[in-house]
Amino acid sequence: MSELRKLTFGYLGLLALLALTVVSSTLDLSGFNVALNLVIAVAKAIIIAVIFMHLRGTLPKLAVAAACLWLALLFGLTLIGR
Amino acid sequence: MSGTESIAFDTPQREQRADTLAMWVFIGSEAMLFGAIFLVFLIAHIDFGPAFAAASKHLSLALGTFNTAVLITSSFTMALAHLYALHRRWRATVWALVATSALGVCFLIVKGIEYGKEIHEGLAPLLGLPFRYDGPDPTHAEFFFGLYFTMTSLHALHLIGGIVVIAGVVALWRAASPANRVRRVVAVGLYWHFVDIIWVFMFPVLYLINR
Repeated sequence: MSELRKLTFGYLGLLALLALTVVSSTLDLSGFNVALNLVIAVAKAIIIAVIFMHLRGTLPKLAVAAACLWLALLFGLTLIGR
Repeated sequence: MSGTESIAFDTPQREQRADTLAMWVFIGSEAMLFGAIFLVFLIAHIDFGPAFAAASKHLSLALGTFNTAVLITSSFTMALAHLYALHRRWRATVWALVATSALGVCFLIVKGIEYGKEIHEGLAPLLGLPFRYDGPDPTHAEFFFGLYFTMTSLHALHLIGGIVVIAGVVALWRAASPANRVRRVVAVGLYWHFVDIIWVFMFPVLYLINR
């Protein structure tokens, strides 16, 4: 069952990224720690959404894009207005 | 199609697609709720960075990392439940659902142990508990712990909701038609993975900032 193999790879990838984010936080990357942690979190979220949640089809993607747009407005306008 | 099926859709496949879209829209609305709290945390972190970094070191990185692994594993077992349900392997589906909710309970127990530790150390500024903190800038450290308890308890509440729904799906398993079983597993699975994604962001933001 190739689907099972895909899920297992996704799972192992998530655990590897977890190890990477914890180890990276013990290193001094001079200001890049937060950025690296957030990039890893986004990568984990994409793995979960694509492999575990089977994000496909136009309408589900549209719903996700709408949520991302509103979050971008929320964060963007707040940070610009400061 | 048996008489207990929905009459609103021509085929179970259509109903499945409508269900999935509705779950994604619901997840989008949940993302707004958590997004707003993350935004408050971000602004506070920009303003009181050193105080937040110092306060974050009082959280247990070991327990937080363990719990992240537990939740990732629960997402994996939930994805297995989905896979088994699609192949009509009902017994395996139920076991994967039970494993998922058991891992959810495990997460909550570890979180409870963490809360107990923090309350014992006087780091819980809630319910009128005394707040004792000997690091720098205790006022903003208190703000950090206020946000920490708000964010993690809101997440835990969502996890409890997921566990209750899984228990309901399992309890109604025998009475449900095959199409309904698959639809329910897919719907609760989407929700469960979303709650996992929220934790994937909360963990580095709360536990790892400037450690």
